[in-house]
Amino acid sequence: MNVNEIFDVIVKNTREVVPALESHNFDFEDSLKELGANSVDRSEIIMMSLESLELNVAMIHFARAENMGDLATIMHDKQ
Amino acid sequence: MSALSSIVVSGIGVTASAGQNKEAFLAGLLSGENLFGIMQREGRQAPETPPSEDETPLQEKYLGAEISKLSVPDSIPKSLLRTASWSSQVTVSTLHEAWNDSRLDEVASERIGLVIGGSNVQQRELVNVHDKYRDKPQFLRPTYAMSFMDSDAVGVCTEVFPIRGPSYTLGGASASGQVAVIQAINAVRSGQVDVCIAIGSMMDLSYWECRGFRTLGAMGSEKFAFSPELACRPFDLDHDGFIFGEACGVIVIETKEHARKRGADIYAEIKGWSHIMDGNRNPNPSLEGEKTVVTNSLRMANMTASDIHYVNPHGTASIVGDETELSVLKQSGLEHAYINATKSIIGHGLSAAGTVELIATILQMKAGRIHRTRNLTTPIDMDFNWVREKSIQQTISTAISLSMGFGGVNTAVCIEQC
Repeated sequence: MNVNEIFDVIVKNTREVVPALESHNFDFEDSLKELGANSVDRSEIIMMSLESLELNVAMIHFARAENMGDLATIMHDKQ
Repeated sequence: MSALSSIVVSGIGVTASAGQNKEAFLAGLLSGENLFGIMQREGRQAPETPPSEDETPLQEKYLGAEISKLSVPDSIPKSLLRTASWSSQVTVSTLHEAWNDSRLDEVASERIGLVIGGSNVQQRELVNVHDKYRDKPQFLRPTYAMSFMDSDAVGVCTEVFPIRGPSYTLGGASASGQVAVIQAINAVRSGQVDVCIAIGSMMDLSYWECRGFRTLGAMGSEKFAFSPELACRPFDLDHDGFIFGEACGVIVIETKEHARKRGADIYAEIKGWSHIMDGNRNPNPSLEGEKTVVTNSLRMANMTASDIHYVNPHGTASIVGDETELSVLKQSGLEHAYINATKSIIGHGLSAAGTVELIATILQMKAGRIHRTRNLTTPIDMDFNWVREKSIQQTISTAISLSMGFGGVNTAVCIEQC
């Protein structure tokens, strides 16, 4: 999967976890925290995305991510 | 509060197979139509196993009465519901009815407490998660760490509703719902809070608990495995154990003065109650323990047995349990009172039973109708004033409701119509 496809997976899971973002137009610069996802929501979104991608990556690797684009890039690099 | 203050029920919420909300639930009880079948909810039936060498037939199927459709109020956030267990979803939806019924928005949030009766109430959800992630535990959802705890229901309820007084879960096995009511009364009487909400939470059994109960001899029905409509038969000669039923009940407790000041409706006054242990870890009932709670609650209510118009018994359909309970009622002088068995219509809600059956008692009292007892073809004791074949019209001013639980838990509550 390329980074854009992985980003789409993250967006899909974000919309499921935070239904209020259903109609939000996501881009790489979006911060989940600033969009209203709390720490539990954020860890849930990451784990759901890892499961969708069948990627076995420790959560600690996502600590340095500052936005959704960073999350997608880290997942892409760990494929 | 004054020691003489009356304790009343000022709000009710209920969800069961018979219906969601007071009106639907009462209508379901009074119609007494069959609600039982082979349970369909995911995780209620064991995975199919291949036939054994001697071609032992199909695995057993577990019977029960499941909630057909849960209507979740729009005010409950979808983001919260997504990770809430089925038990918590039913609980918070049922609380919504009681909250509005009692107009609790008008009470200071820190003066409202919450007691949720029931422990290990979401076993089916846990089994489903374990089955799903057994081969891929690295992907287990982080929210499992929150939702596996029974106390998550307290978190869910207090996030949705402004309840800021002491709130917790408690366990009393199948008496949990009535123990919760008694603890809510204690919280109000002690002055800890002005209003306390008691919930009998929805016990969500998996096939493992069903198997355990069946193996223990507590759950029926081998006799009526292919006739679910006949399987649940408290106090009948052909009873062979309880049949499960999904249910949740919510009761709002406060003093009469406090409710009246707010203009809240008062359903009934709770006149007496008792909670006694047998000193017995096992599931078997105790005549002495049950008789003690009946005696204590009548004495506290300043009533004699002859004052009681209606008994809502525990009545699970357990062979020993039913016989013991009728002996208790007979020895307590309660044969004259009208008696039926709510579990014959909605099944055994386990942790919810004590609250839901107290609600059934109050609603019948208010309606002046007593529901029938399904499948009571040949009562094991004919000396009682059974309501059997159809519901009857009857004024009831006073009633006693009993609950018992594994581990020697006995409770009884006496109520009077206001």
